[in-house]
Amino acid sequence: MSTGRRMVIAGAPRLVRPMRRTLVALTIVLCAAASLMPPPTAHAQRGGRIPDRFRESFGDPNDFYTPPDWRGNPPYDGRFTFARIKYRGYARWSGREGPGWSHDYPDADVHLMSIMREITAVRPFISAGPIVGGAIVALDDPALFKYPVAYLSEPGGWFPNAAEVLGLRNFMLKGGFVIVDDFGASDWGTFESAMRRVVPELEPIELKGDEPVFDSFFKVDMARLQQADGGGGFGGGFGGGGGRRGGRGEGRRGGSFIGYFEKNDPKRRLIVLAAYGQDIGENWQWSGAGFVPVDVSNEAFKLGVNFIIYALTH
Amino acid sequence: MFGAIFEFLFKYRPAVFEQGDLTFGAPVSVVLIVLLAAAIAVPAMLTYFRVGGKSTPRDRAVLTALRVAALLVLVACLFRPMLLLSEAVPRRNFIGVLLDDSRSMRIADRGQRSRADFVRDSLGPRSRLLERLSEKFQVRLFRFGGTSERTDSAGSLTFEQRDTRLVGAIDGARQDLEAVPLSGLVVVTDGADNSLTEVSDALLALRARAVPVFAVGIGSERFARDIEVQRVEAPRRVLKGGTLVADVIVRQSGFDGATVPLIVEDEGRIVARTEILMPAGSDASPVRVTAKLSDPGPRILTFRIPMQEREQVVENNTQRALVDVRDSREKVLYIEGEPRYEVRFVRAAVAADSNLQLVVLQRTAEGKFLRLNVDSGDELIAGFPKSRAELYRYRAVILGNIEASFFTHDQLTMLADFVSVRGGGLVQLGGRRSFSEGGYADTPLADVMPVVVEGAAVADSLTFFADLAPALTPAGVAHAVTQIGTARVSAADKWKTLPAVTSVNRIRRVKPGAVVLITGTVPSGGRAGQPGETALRYEQPILVYQRYGRGIAVSMPIQDDWQWKMGAEVAVEDESFETFWRQLLRWVTSDAPARVEARATPDQVNLRTPVQVRAVVVDSAYERLNDAQVSAQVVAPSGGRQTVALDWAVDQDGEYRGTFAPSEEGVYRVRVTATTTSGIAADTTYVRAAPLDAEYTMAEMRRPFLQRVADETGGKFYTAQTVGTLPDDIAMTKRGVTVVNQMDLWDMPIVFIVLVGLVSSEWAYRKLRGLA
Repeated sequence: MSTGRRMVIAGAPRLVRPMRRTLVALTIVLCAAASLMPPPTAHAQRGGRIPDRFRESFGDPNDFYTPPDWRGNPPYDGRFTFARIKYRGYARWSGREGPGWSHDYPDADVHLMSIMREITAVRPFISAGPIVGGAIVALDDPALFKYPVAYLSEPGGWFPNAAEVLGLRNFMLKGGFVIVDDFGASDWGTFESAMRRVVPELEPIELKGDEPVFDSFFKVDMARLQQADGGGGFGGGFGGGGGRRGGRGEGRRGGSFIGYFEKNDPKRRLIVLAAYGQDIGENWQWSGAGFVPVDVSNEAFKLGVNFIIYALTH
Repeated sequence: MFGAIFEFLFKYRPAVFEQGDLTFGAPVSVVLIVLLAAAIAVPAMLTYFRVGGKSTPRDRAVLTALRVAALLVLVACLFRPMLLLSEAVPRRNFIGVLLDDSRSMRIADRGQRSRADFVRDSLGPRSRLLERLSEKFQVRLFRFGGTSERTDSAGSLTFEQRDTRLVGAIDGARQDLEAVPLSGLVVVTDGADNSLTEVSDALLALRARAVPVFAVGIGSERFARDIEVQRVEAPRRVLKGGTLVADVIVRQSGFDGATVPLIVEDEGRIVARTEILMPAGSDASPVRVTAKLSDPGPRILTFRIPMQEREQVVENNTQRALVDVRDSREKVLYIEGEPRYEVRFVRAAVAADSNLQLVVLQRTAEGKFLRLNVDSGDELIAGFPKSRAELYRYRAVILGNIEASFFTHDQLTMLADFVSVRGGGLVQLGGRRSFSEGGYADTPLADVMPVVVEGAAVADSLTFFADLAPALTPAGVAHAVTQIGTARVSAADKWKTLPAVTSVNRIRRVKPGAVVLITGTVPSGGRAGQPGETALRYEQPILVYQRYGRGIAVSMPIQDDWQWKMGAEVAVEDESFETFWRQLLRWVTSDAPARVEARATPDQVNLRTPVQVRAVVVDSAYERLNDAQVSAQVVAPSGGRQTVALDWAVDQDGEYRGTFAPSEEGVYRVRVTATTTSGIAADTTYVRAAPLDAEYTMAEMRRPFLQRVADETGGKFYTAQTVGTLPDDIAMTKRGVTVVNQMDLWDMPIVFIVLVGLVSSEWAYRKLRGLA
């Protein structure tokens, strides 16, 4: 059993005492930048100030973006249903796929569930009439608690409000499991600060690859994985990218897996599994289109299947 | 009063008529007297009918009847009726008088005087009753309680004995007086017999030897004001940290409608307290009480009701139970056919329970399994067990969402035997591949389940769906599994706050012997029915069980009870789900026997009272073994050891018995070890040796029991008020050396009164009708 390695994250005051002056200078610069470009949460709180051109393009930042393929959530019937977490605003906008949380929707969801249906004993929801993929839930929506395994894409644009923080915290403490995907060095700070609000008592721990989650259905070989992703982060070629987290020297280059464990003990329950510097969902999405080598998409599916089987049994 | 009037009218007491034989002492033949009577009566009647005058036919009929009746009485007297009565020759016969020397005789329920006072007053030296008995018999006194012995006088009684073996004492006195002419035995007691002896057998022996027992019942048949903890029914064993559910029988008189506390203590520490409402018009009521037991080992639990105002007897307010709190680890096999949240949450629920080991066999794909929490790499390596020995290592099995066709017919039969023969617990959970939908109809498990499964399999198709809000049934309110309440919220109220769950298994019927603990109804805004159909009123069991053979079968036809943990309305710190699952698994494993099951009977005894140790020994397939070497090592509280050999009881396969008698106060540890061809197995049980309070249990005078003893032996029952006739009644038992007395009946006052009455009536009728 791996004990993991505690993540050392740049930007956290307790970790960078020698660099205090630099940090202060950086903070001043960031504040100045922030004053010029308010973060999406600020937009959300002051929706009236959003320029009309943004509103026309992206919708009301106080509200949630609605993907064009979304036809409602499937009615709950007890089956495993892929649950995608949505957040307010339009951060990490892609004209093609909307804000970061909805990237790869619904193809990634449908493809992964189809693979689950084909090769495992799980009988998940895939589609019913116009409803495809799974459910899209907000963190402050009580419906979240019907789906103890949830998927969060591109947390770089995730600025939860207090209700969402409380909702996710309760979800995690009761037994929920979150898979986080598609974020890199530039997103780490946003993700980590949000997590610090949700579970301040927990620290991110880098996984070594021999944890049960990598052996719950397929035996995932991390070396082979590195080989498949070219060393730059699994799926990095599709927009994820690794790099140094926070731009500091402590983080390693390339993709890795970060875990949040109950009581910070890797032998206990894994609550959050974050695929840092990677974009696994992208590989699920494009697996059938020929844009991704079969080997790579296979590894992506293996990871997805493993994550879900692990979450259902551990 | 009735007796005195009877004796005045009929000259003798009723007992004389009961014992005597009626005969006639007329010197001439009966025929002659009848003819003579007829010769007188017929002319008389004719005379009446001839004489007309003012009389009507009715007058003549009445006057004739009265005259004939008077004549018949006279004729009857001429027959000289008499009773022939065998009576004991004075002081040639013996009687045994058995005096109750037990503690219950100290109860003062005769005004301010105790039962013991009656014995001293009525049968002490120079007492009138004893003198009258001594005039007619040689009197031999016995004192009895747990033992019996001869005594010289009632003055030597101490009323200290802690139990009463009435039937044994009677039999002992009979044997003691077997060599002398015995007229009968007199038992002076309150009737409390707390021996385990079968009374019928002992009474049969007395009747065969024609020894009448005269029972004198002392004390009131019902206390005016008393509360009694009469009995406690508690499981012998519970797992550490588990919920003990005990049924306490509480009797009361004079406390109708009162509320009193019932306190449960674990060796001085209060572990439960409940308020009991004494129902009006009912003297005994069962009370169910639950308590958490966290300290392992033999625990002596005290169930007591504090003394109430003006209560007559306080010694009967307490009962004790010996419970073995085991710190063992019970192994449960959970086979799940589909990876789903159930495994995740159930595993988490029981993970912190060190007394449960949940081994999971999770099918993750066709022919592919994930084994979790196994003891070794070999365990379940070939999938679900294929032999009884392999399956019977577990004490309970949970069937998740897995279709019947996954198992071979032999495996299904094995699972049925797992419940009925091995005595294990089987829990089936709901899902699209469970119950009827999973094709369990007409399989060996169909009989085992507490619900009726029927129809063909429709696995993976959604043919039914229901939202179900849970609620406890009356049976579930006090069941060990459902106790998720807190100090502030009762279990029943707590269940109503839990989120609704869903079922895809339609349950139409439960078996006749099944008990529904939790039921589900469609909540507001919920749905039930087939696809496209929505029924707003629907109810089906959420948790139901039945006993099947030696084990328990539980059905839980819902698919997402993890909602009781995860539901949005459930607080993060709420542990109802965890508590429920721990209690469920502890309960279904609690009665599953090991390969050696030892039991001491009784498990609480007075010092030097024999205890029988019984052990049932089986092999790995739970077939009973008659060729095992079985012995018990008995460890006294002081550490002294003795080995007791247990011999096979020929009348019961696989059962071995031995006996020992505790000689010191405290808890004895009895470790039974069986050596069989397939290895050594052992089990431990406990015995508490202490002065017990059985004397005060049901301490009111037990008239029905004493009446039965008297009736079945040809004796008679007396109370303190009627005991005065005892000497004369014994004298007429026809036992011992007797003489026959002729007792004339013609001169009974009733004869004269009847005669005068008939003649006077005739005269009065004449006067009334103007015929005089």
